[in-house]
Amino acid sequence: MAINRNVATTHVSMLKRITADKRAATAPLRHAATRRAKTFISQLFIYSILLSLAFVFIYPVLFIFSKSLMQAGDVTDATVNWIPKQLSFANYAYAFQQLDFWRSFMNSTVISLGSAVVQVVSCAVVGYGFARFRFPGRGLWLALVLFTFLVPPQTIIVPLFLQFSDLGWLNTYLPFIVPGLFGHGLKGALFVLIFIQFFSKLPSQLEEAALIDGAGAFRTFRSIMFPLARPAMLVVFLFSIVWHWTDTYEPSMYLMEPQKFNMTQQLSKMDGEGNGEGAKQLAVTKSVIGEPPTKVNRVMAGALLSILPILALYLFTQRYFVESVERTGIAGD
Amino acid sequence: MKKRLGLTMRARHIVQGYSFISIWIVGFFLFMAIPLFRSLMFSFQDLKIMSGGLEATQVGLKHYNNAFTVDTSFVPRLITSFTNIVIQVPLTLVFAMFSALLLNRKLLGRIAFRGIFFLPVIIASGAVLKKLMGQGATRLPIFDQVDLVGKLIDYVPGQILFPLLKMMDAITLIMWDSGVQILIFLAGLQSISTTLYEAAKCDGATPWESFWKVTFPMIVPMILVNTLFSIVSSFTKVDNSVMDYIQYIVFNKSDYGYASSLGWIYFVFIFLVIGAVFLMFRGASAEERR
Repeated sequence: MAINRNVATTHVSMLKRITADKRAATAPLRHAATRRAKTFISQLFIYSILLSLAFVFIYPVLFIFSKSLMQAGDVTDATVNWIPKQLSFANYAYAFQQLDFWRSFMNSTVISLGSAVVQVVSCAVVGYGFARFRFPGRGLWLALVLFTFLVPPQTIIVPLFLQFSDLGWLNTYLPFIVPGLFGHGLKGALFVLIFIQFFSKLPSQLEEAALIDGAGAFRTFRSIMFPLARPAMLVVFLFSIVWHWTDTYEPSMYLMEPQKFNMTQQLSKMDGEGNGEGAKQLAVTKSVIGEPPTKVNRVMAGALLSILPILALYLFTQRYFVESVERTGIAGD
Repeated sequence: MKKRLGLTMRARHIVQGYSFISIWIVGFFLFMAIPLFRSLMFSFQDLKIMSGGLEATQVGLKHYNNAFTVDTSFVPRLITSFTNIVIQVPLTLVFAMFSALLLNRKLLGRIAFRGIFFLPVIIASGAVLKKLMGQGATRLPIFDQVDLVGKLIDYVPGQILFPLLKMMDAITLIMWDSGVQILIFLAGLQSISTTLYEAAKCDGATPWESFWKVTFPMIVPMILVNTLFSIVSSFTKVDNSVMDYIQYIVFNKSDYGYASSLGWIYFVFIFLVIGAVFLMFRGASAEERR
């Protein structure tokens, strides 16, 4: 297939025609039939690798889904592997109530959506400043953005915790949203870098035209550059939602009251931790003991419920996740 | 407006630039620089919670000494965290590169495959992953089914076999964790101009050669990006035991000073790793230029 394409493009340039002639001279040695067989086998090979890899990637979904539909009897029954003997949604009803679904859904949504919105705006503003202005100290601040990205949260967690505690922000959404307002927060530095990449690729004539038309720097940003940044905004928005939703670290530091728990916290404290994991239990989950251990089916129903909202989001926006990363040029180094 | 401040074009440009990034600078002090400095202070202090706030007494290097000499559970955790980075990051990169190369080809259902490869970033992370690990669902059952250990232990010494099997066990986790890295590599691969490959082909390069001579050098910056991203995401991964431990010290022991010093030890150790990564890449690119 690749060779055919090559032959087709050879008509374009003289240089290529010469090599094509060379290849044509050796072509009779290789029969077309064996060549076709070869490409067929290599295609077969590639697809089989891809399919087996895809299985590994879908495996957790299948596992969660199948276990979540099982009854207690099916879980221990060795003859039941994937398909439960009878269909029942009792686990979901149980998990729904255990997770305190609507409340934790609201908590998670406010945290994820709120942080995502403020991060999109603030990181875009900051990214624009870095991408389009040359000022003394720019290199230093850029290095500090990278530094911020690389500092482990473990290092600064104690002062941050005390700081938020002094401000009375524990058990509120503020520790998640306010750092986002300043272009920080969960992976904030990465989002700033994404916007820097994106804005520095836009043509500078856009701003020059706006300047000639009498727009100031902020007006230019607000009415021209910001709307143009939609692909980058989409990436940042979606990633911010997903990462905030699945993050277990910050919520477990800042949210201690069960009423304020988000989805992942409710899931962590659900029963059936089992397998010696209990030793590593955190203070947050430690208070909740009781319920017999290893109820795989119920826990998996809970797991599915806890990610259902972002799974739904992903199903609808999958293209944007995958394609917009290319369009924004995160990879531009 | 231009006259109002009496600034030159250049000065106005600088002021505008700084006003755009000013919110970030304020945030940097509030949420990074000051906490970092305070945590360094804390690490040399004993902190007691009093009614009026925290009471600090200077204890010098006590916490650092304790971390390495008295505390029996910190150093092993640090070592585990280190070996995890050293083993998992290269494997992640190799796997992500391999997948990206596959997905970059013209395929039927390419979009669907990409969607599937990215799926674990959404579902197999955080609390869900922890639950899956608790159920042993993060290992491929195939190794148990064929009793790999029993078959291989006769031929391969245990010192080699068990770490190897541990790596194999970790492979599922590594694959699930490489979604973002695959996307970054894919974006990088797509930015390589096709004329380069055509030129290489004209010069008689085989696909293998054109990978090493064209693709690989072009994608080195993405490898650096992915290495850094993988290291950063390992901080808060569910299998990072240092994270759990520091959290445990903060909440269960309320020993803020000790927790801060552990945080700083981790910080220094991470920056040594990152420094090594930068040196390696600088060495590699210097070699390229020669």
